[in-house]
Amino acid sequence: MTVPPEAAEFTIPIRDSTDVLRARGSARELAARLKLGSADQTRLATAVSELTRNILQYAGEGTCTIINASDDHQRCIRVIVEDHGPGIPDIPLALRDGYSTGGGLGAGLPGVQRLMDEFQITSQPGHTCLTMAMNRPRTPFT
Amino acid sequence: MTEAVDFNVARWLEAQQEAVLDAWMSDIVSRWKKNYLHVVDTEHLHLQSRQLLEEIRKLFVENPNEFWEPTPDSKIVVLIRSLSTQRAKQGFKPADSTFYVLSLKRVLWRRLLQDRIAENKVALATCLAMIENVIDRLTLLIYEVYVETRERLIAQQSLSLLELSTPVVRLWDRVLMVPLIGVMDTQRARQTTERLLEAIAKYEATVAILDVTGVPVLDTSVAGHIMKTIAAAQMLGARVVMTGISPDGAQTLVKLGVDFSVVTTRATLRAGVAESLLLVGKRIVAVKDAP
Repeated sequence: MTVPPEAAEFTIPIRDSTDVLRARGSARELAARLKLGSADQTRLATAVSELTRNILQYAGEGTCTIINASDDHQRCIRVIVEDHGPGIPDIPLALRDGYSTGGGLGAGLPGVQRLMDEFQITSQPGHTCLTMAMNRPRTPFT
Repeated sequence: MTEAVDFNVARWLEAQQEAVLDAWMSDIVSRWKKNYLHVVDTEHLHLQSRQLLEEIRKLFVENPNEFWEPTPDSKIVVLIRSLSTQRAKQGFKPADSTFYVLSLKRVLWRRLLQDRIAENKVALATCLAMIENVIDRLTLLIYEVYVETRERLIAQQSLSLLELSTPVVRLWDRVLMVPLIGVMDTQRARQTTERLLEAIAKYEATVAILDVTGVPVLDTSVAGHIMKTIAAAQMLGARVVMTGISPDGAQTLVKLGVDFSVVTTRATLRAGVAESLLLVGKRIVAVKDAP
């Protein structure tokens, strides 16, 4: 499953681990199409992998929307990850390195924050939404 | 009662059996000849189809006035199940597999419409409805069995893939190598750890090379699994040398804050092999330099 070339927005339902692969594959593909470097492609794919995996672990299921938000000045990929799970009770704590309620390394959320250029969380029980974006200026060749 | 309602589908079918079978088989053969006739034995197909037709006739005898509900152990269900399983395994497309009974419906309809009974609309409608009901049930059954068979096939394949993809290779005395390939999930990680630990104990290995060249994305969950494998190996007294982290992967891991400093890492498998041989007091030299 890939991002259709014309689509500015593409939503992938996240229900099992193959959806995680699809989501990060699609994100990487869009990044490649926008001619982002391979390090940036890896960063984006890893960030998408982290967040969609969190959905499976903490909420069971959700969605991942990948948006090509580029304009004349910059290339921008925005990713919105949403679920209707129990939510994150203490966001600053969840963003602290080494903190995990699920037995993980506790590096996922703070790590994603460092990998991406924009990162926001809104969370309440029943609806959690994480938005992140990667921005790169346009060069004459892109 | 009028004569029309007395019309008996079962008896009609019995009289028509040979003609129906002929027409049906030629319809099937013309559709399947391009792709499937080399996997289907036509004689066997005739035999099966005759059996099926016979069972359908019996259904009409047993349920002359009501609609048939399939029961799991009735002969016709068993027949369709085995036939559909076989086709799914032979690589039939679902549409071609269901075409088998849909073609029978077409043949029966055509013959009924040509029959004397077509003059009586009520009787005709009753007959068509009964045939329709049976064929619809069989179609659904074929589809269901098809999907079941395919799903079982996929499950088997992913299981064999799992078996395949976690080899532990003995590289030299006391040196093991584990090439990790593909997606690392909990199950894969557990299996890898188990096999590595068994091999360390069996070969009294002191060094294990963990090569992650084939792991597409190193996120915290994968890193977590790898760390646990490493910790377990170290508990058995083996040093772990990790190889194959790409430059992009290294940058990403650092940003994520994943700390692999407890293990020796080398960029390439080549460097990792050299390092682990050194750890067991060996090195590779050119033949001309050897003493």
